[in-house]
Amino acid sequence: MKRLLERRLAPVDSPAAIVAITVGAMLVAFILAGLLFMPFGGNPLTAYGFLFRAAFGSVRALGLTLVQGTPLTLIALATIVIWRAGLGYIGFEGCFLMGAAASSWIALAGTPQGFPLLLPHWLYWPSVLVAAFVAGALWAGWVGVLRVRFGGNDVLISLMANYVAIFLVQYWVSGPMRAPGDLPQTPRLPTESWLPYLMSGMRAHWGAAIALFATLWVWWLIRATPAGYEIIVSGLNPKAARYGGINVGKRQMSAVLLGGGLAALAGLCAVLGVQHRLMDGMSGGVGFIGVVVALLARLNPLLVIPTALLYGGLEVGGSAMQRQTGLPTSVVLILQSLLVLLIIAGDVLRYYRLRWPRQKTVQTPLTEEPS
Amino acid sequence: MNGLSHIDAAFVVTWLAAAVRLAGPVLLAALGEIYAERAGVLNIGIEGTILLGALGSYMVAVLSGSTALGFLAGGVVGLIVGLLLAALYLRAHGSQIVVGIVFNILAGGVATWIYSLVMGNTSSPTITMLAPYPLPLLSAIPGIGAIVFSQPVPLYLTLLLTGVAQYALFYTRFGLSLRAVGENPAAAHAAGLNVLRIRTWGVLLSCLGAGLAGSYLVTAQIGLFRDNIVSGQGFIALAIVIFGRWNPVKALVAAFIFGAADALQLSLQLFESALPPQLLLALPYLLTILAMSGVVGRTVQPGALTQPYRKE
Repeated sequence: MKRLLERRLAPVDSPAAIVAITVGAMLVAFILAGLLFMPFGGNPLTAYGFLFRAAFGSVRALGLTLVQGTPLTLIALATIVIWRAGLGYIGFEGCFLMGAAASSWIALAGTPQGFPLLLPHWLYWPSVLVAAFVAGALWAGWVGVLRVRFGGNDVLISLMANYVAIFLVQYWVSGPMRAPGDLPQTPRLPTESWLPYLMSGMRAHWGAAIALFATLWVWWLIRATPAGYEIIVSGLNPKAARYGGINVGKRQMSAVLLGGGLAALAGLCAVLGVQHRLMDGMSGGVGFIGVVVALLARLNPLLVIPTALLYGGLEVGGSAMQRQTGLPTSVVLILQSLLVLLIIAGDVLRYYRLRWPRQKTVQTPLTEEPS
Repeated sequence: MNGLSHIDAAFVVTWLAAAVRLAGPVLLAALGEIYAERAGVLNIGIEGTILLGALGSYMVAVLSGSTALGFLAGGVVGLIVGLLLAALYLRAHGSQIVVGIVFNILAGGVATWIYSLVMGNTSSPTITMLAPYPLPLLSAIPGIGAIVFSQPVPLYLTLLLTGVAQYALFYTRFGLSLRAVGENPAAAHAAGLNVLRIRTWGVLLSCLGAGLAGSYLVTAQIGLFRDNIVSGQGFIALAIVIFGRWNPVKALVAAFIFGAADALQLSLQLFESALPPQLLLALPYLLTILAMSGVVGRTVQPGALTQPYRKE
């Protein structure tokens, strides 16, 4: 059998090759996904044109894209912090829900008037931010303890924990926190508890500022602080880190707590910025898409923002396109995942070179070069 | 008094029969997953594979008019998906967690796309489902007969495959190789085993199981296709694998327990019980977390699970 791939003697790992593979994979993903419009009578170029105009073409569109990109950014940052510490935690749906639930609880405490009734209003923002962050940190934290203290498998435990969180929220909104009415959801949160809009006439809210601040902070943390350095070393090589005097368990725990808190802020943004109530099925996979965003950004905090805006924009543009033209929005999901899968597959080219089947490999004899 | 105990007996039989019904598809998926995990590959992508298997099975059943053919189609879809996943997990050296998660998202998109392409916006026709087939003699056994042996054919197939898997894993050369590769790939390689080939078989078998689980859902339980048809059953299958400690027969017991919790939750909703149904729904996941936690005795997972292998 003729082999298509020939093993390279050494993997190519120059930045140029990595950029080329990433860009190439993205192009192929866009082309492949674009072809999927054709059976529905859509021209891929027109479809993409519409999609990107609906996502980035106006101030209003940009606002919607920001709204979609905000939770993705926060969850991607959470992924970066935890994964860089060497864990494979994927329980961000759960953290998101815990953050959402804690924020709604604070905003609803003392209903019908809400939080402001209980405490001076200036205390509301600090307390809701802290409550959401702590809820997420604790939710991720117990998985972290099981992993660090007891050697449990964090990937599988956190995956299962997502469902526990989903059922917990389902129980709250159909039981203790339920609003009178047919739907399992809490009452609408009082207007004063909402995240204010960035400007009038634009759906973007201050959550975007939270996400931006978090990005800079995470970037600074892992680039410039000893704690960040220790987290990364713990992830790269736990044995060497221990030998170097780093308390790996402690660093992994702080990464998990931090990541859980960040992911919970995504839930806060969704509840206080968009839905304005807690309801069943709120997370809808955002915890997983956030992980995908982090991967596409190659676990680099500064690349998270453009990637999250791309992913958020695809979602906004995709649903606008479906409303207007009837072209399927499922292409967006396909595109979002193809981007990552093709980059993974593209990495093969760093280890192997393509050999076309008909081309005869000429064994060039090792001749001495004339000097 | 006597009448009440009659009702109770009827309730228990109905409940346990429902438990077996709910356990069937996830057990089939779990059996496949055991092969992959024993070979050292955590295939989180079975959730998406079940979905695509269900879609393939439904389409073939609708287009051909034969439900049996539809059932087989799910397996074929599973094998095709398996080739793709094996390439990504094993040849491209993608992280198993990453490939699995992303594949599940991809499968969601692909299933919706294909469905709307073929079926358009019309409401989907239901297919003739595989009816319960009471096995002669066995179904006459009091209790067990009504619970286990009056089920549709895929359940019997699943029970049969449980035995096959148990035998294959622990009493054949193939099973020994598979386990060796999952415990210590470097040593297995040194002993002359082709690690990547054996792991490929593990992934293919897990996707075959998941694809057929999708068929099972469509042809014997639901009878039509929707996007949300799988809704976490792949993750339940992962849970069953862990709770069953990577052993097919123990997985059978785990699947039945999980099915029983699920079925009880359904009947409790009818009774307006004070117990929140979510507690029973969350039970499988809670039990799995407990089994995985390392707190109550160490669950010994295959040594090289999630560790990629690169031949040096």
